Amino acid sequence: MNGEIVSTRHMSSADSWFKQIYKEQEFVYPKFYKMDALSQAGFLASELIKRSNQGLTSEYKDDEIAMLFANQSSSADTDMRFMHSYEHNGAPSPSLFVYTLPNIVLGEIAIRNKWYGENMFAVLPKFAPGFFVDYGKILLSTGAKALLCGWLGVLGDDIEVFVFLVESESDNGSDFNVENLTDLAQLGHP
Amino acid sequence: MTYIGAEVIISPLGRTTAENWAAIRANQSGISLVKRAGFDKSDLYLSKMLDLVDDYKFEKLLIDALSTVAQEIDPAILTSDRTIVIISSTKGELDKNIHDQFGKSISALISRFLLANQPVVLSNACISGVLAINAAGNFIDAQIYDHAVVIGCDLISDFVIYGFQSLFAVSDQPCAPFDTLRNGITMGEGCGAVVVSQTKNIFRNGALQLLSGTSANDANHISGPSRTGEGLFRSVKKTLENNQLTAEDIDFVCAHGTATVFNDEMESIAFDRLGLSDVHLSSLKGYFGHTLGAAGVIETAASMQMMRHGLLVKSLGYRESGTSRKLNVIAENAASQPETILKTASGFGGGNASLIIRSL
Repeated sequence: MNGEIVSTRHMSSADSWFKQIYKEQEFVYPKFYKMDALSQAGFLASELIKRSNQGLTSEYKDDEIAMLFANQSSSADTDMRFMHSYEHNGAPSPSLFVYTLPNIVLGEIAIRNKWYGENMFAVLPKFAPGFFVDYGKILLSTGAKALLCGWLGVLGDDIEVFVFLVESESDNGSDFNVENLTDLAQLGHP
Repeated sequence: MTYIGAEVIISPLGRTTAENWAAIRANQSGISLVKRAGFDKSDLYLSKMLDLVDDYKFEKLLIDALSTVAQEIDPAILTSDRTIVIISSTKGELDKNIHDQFGKSISALISRFLLANQPVVLSNACISGVLAINAAGNFIDAQIYDHAVVIGCDLISDFVIYGFQSLFAVSDQPCAPFDTLRNGITMGEGCGAVVVSQTKNIFRNGALQLLSGTSANDANHISGPSRTGEGLFRSVKKTLENNQLTAEDIDFVCAHGTATVFNDEMESIAFDRLGLSDVHLSSLKGYFGHTLGAAGVIETAASMQMMRHGLLVKSLGYRESGTSRKLNVIAENAASQPETILKTASGFGGGNASLIIRSL
């Protein structure tokens, strides 16, 4: 979080990595346990960002924060679980099916925060800073004053979560451009 | 000004836009009873392309749509580095590669049509198509690109059939949007395309005007519509205000109208709150079924055909009002020259989106 390590994964734990973070950080949002891994990833990252930007939920109107997310694998992780439910477990699981869309994570974050802003989820072959900068700037010029953006790759043990906040006016942070975003994204892959 | 044209529809009603228009104006439906299609091997009403037998159906439809688009516009546009292809879809070629549902099809499009830019896939449940057209308009207004080809495509698979069955959301009859007897969706499949451009003269058959659209989340439930229609209300209100229009300026609403009890009720509440109760309104789900990520593009394309031909087609399956708020659902085809039309979509994840098209 902002370059600081806030949680370290314990490989020996019976809990998933996301559940470990939820417990360690003492979040209280029972709906978390119903979410699929993609939504849990987005929920945790957005809650951590809110903690370090206390004004985020009070400084903006309920429709001034837009969300722009992307990944490469869509909701494939949950898609496979849902397919397993009807091919091997006897019946299609409705509680899994409702998570078989990648934009559901945006719905979960919107519900959590009562955010009525613009939402977009894109599927791209790899992290594309240019897409976030181009479309992010469009959203900031057409009504949004802040953007919660993220690359959320969840496929089995292969997990890539990079969520960042863009504000049209801010005292800290760096300029929202491809170069800075590329640098930030590479911090996690030294 | 931003222009929209070159609309393409490929559906069970036909492989060309002209075939689709002829079927719609004759009030034919693409919905038929498909034997043993359900999870329990039950027969199910589907709007299915029964003659689509290719191995890679999603890729085949994308290629067919883009080939048709290429004939409808200045041929240099497709390969221009000022052109972006935006694809709206929920599940792509899931049956072929669940890990990477779009990768192979997109690569095929790039190499076959020599696309200069990496296409963007928007996967926002049932609002994907309207969102994709809005994104196209935004990219062009911001001068990031000069032209955008928007293709919406989704297939019927066991995956989506079983999923909607598990939610008890599938109608046991051809769907009846806004009708008192409606009891669920009829799944559909197909492909639609439109071209959005800053240049009017790239279109062989003339263009319409695309006004900037918006989206808004319900912030209410991941799979159920808001009871107050809040997200849809906010999206349409924003779209109208951004374009300095009021409800009185809208001549026709091409609604989402899935024919589930709760969705159509929600839409009636939102449209009532917006002062749109008296405006002519249709759902096209009775013709195409619910084509998920393709729906917004197919239905926008069909609405453009209505504008071009001066005919508002009836909302197929509708007989008697089944919503708590009044709507002016079109019960019979009506000759009309709508100047300004509103297209809306609502879907899982709480998404709502709207756009406006004007005649020139």
